[in-house]
Amino acid sequence: MSRVKRIAKELEECRQDAQSGVSLRLNNETDLTHLTGYFKGPPGTPYEKGTFQVDINIPNEYPFKPPQMKFLTKIYHPNISSVTGAICLDILKDAWTPILTLKSSLISLQSLLQSPEPSDPQDAEVAKHYISNKVGFDETAAYWTKLYASDGEKDGQAALSDSALYGIDDEIVTQFENMGFPRDKTILVLRRMGIKSFNNVTNKGETENKILEELLKECQ
Amino acid sequence: MKVVVKNWHAIAQWKWDTGNNDADDGDVEGDVCGICRVPYEGCCPSCKVPGDDCPLIWGECSHVFHMHCLLKWIGTAASKQQCPMDRRPWVTAERKVDATTNSAPTP
Repeated sequence: MSRVKRIAKELEECRQDAQSGVSLRLNNETDLTHLTGYFKGPPGTPYEKGTFQVDINIPNEYPFKPPQMKFLTKIYHPNISSVTGAICLDILKDAWTPILTLKSSLISLQSLLQSPEPSDPQDAEVAKHYISNKVGFDETAAYWTKLYASDGEKDGQAALSDSALYGIDDEIVTQFENMGFPRDKTILVLRRMGIKSFNNVTNKGETENKILEELLKECQ
Repeated sequence: MKVVVKNWHAIAQWKWDTGNNDADDGDVEGDVCGICRVPYEGCCPSCKVPGDDCPLIWGECSHVFHMHCLLKWIGTAASKQQCPMDRRPWVTAERKVDATTNSAPTP
């Protein structure tokens, strides 16, 4: 089988190359078709200091068909599903060519973290957040990196704050909490309505009323 | 002193003339087929014996592959009939015969 030889070669080359910053590991020593890739988040991005794991499945037709990749590490990025880790990247689909390798694909993923394409989203909610409020997006993405992609040291600072997880301005949640609504229900409703903050809302009063309505329904 | 040669072994080495023989271009991977990653002088994964039965193929774009590897790629719909290296439409180049041999093929 042609793919086995090539995969073995790629693994060996990647092992010898400490420069590239990406690494590959077999999930099972006897199976060359299921691997896990690792790389660091690019500096100067909200993914900085994170280590990201990618699940790699190699099809029978490799290298004539692209490897199937998805993120195992949860990540907040317009071109990666925040739920399943599915990736939207042309070279892993119709722009694949057999001269690309597992290593070059992982490097492409790394540069996808550097330059998101919100106009061709995999996760529409995240892309909307990116386009409407870049600062808020960066905060959430950095928060997810700290929470899910940091190596081991999960100190108290990264304690799970549910509103930050979804990029929701904590002020809104507190506002409704103070009215007596449970925190989890408030976050649920805000997520469902796609509201993250009141910053870009033209008619704040009306939006507040709508949230109230939804909350009352939710809490019946 | 008289030297008598009792027997001798001739050893020959062959290499495909890929047209870019600059050995010192620093590219370690320069001499492998980009599709299967096996050296040009080896054979593609579907063949057992290297040589004339598993030849190379040249594109007008100057890129070289094992013929079997390239044809397999071009045969897939995903290839869109493009060179794997530069994604230009694949056009097989007429093989240029070295200038020292005067039997250059007429295109």
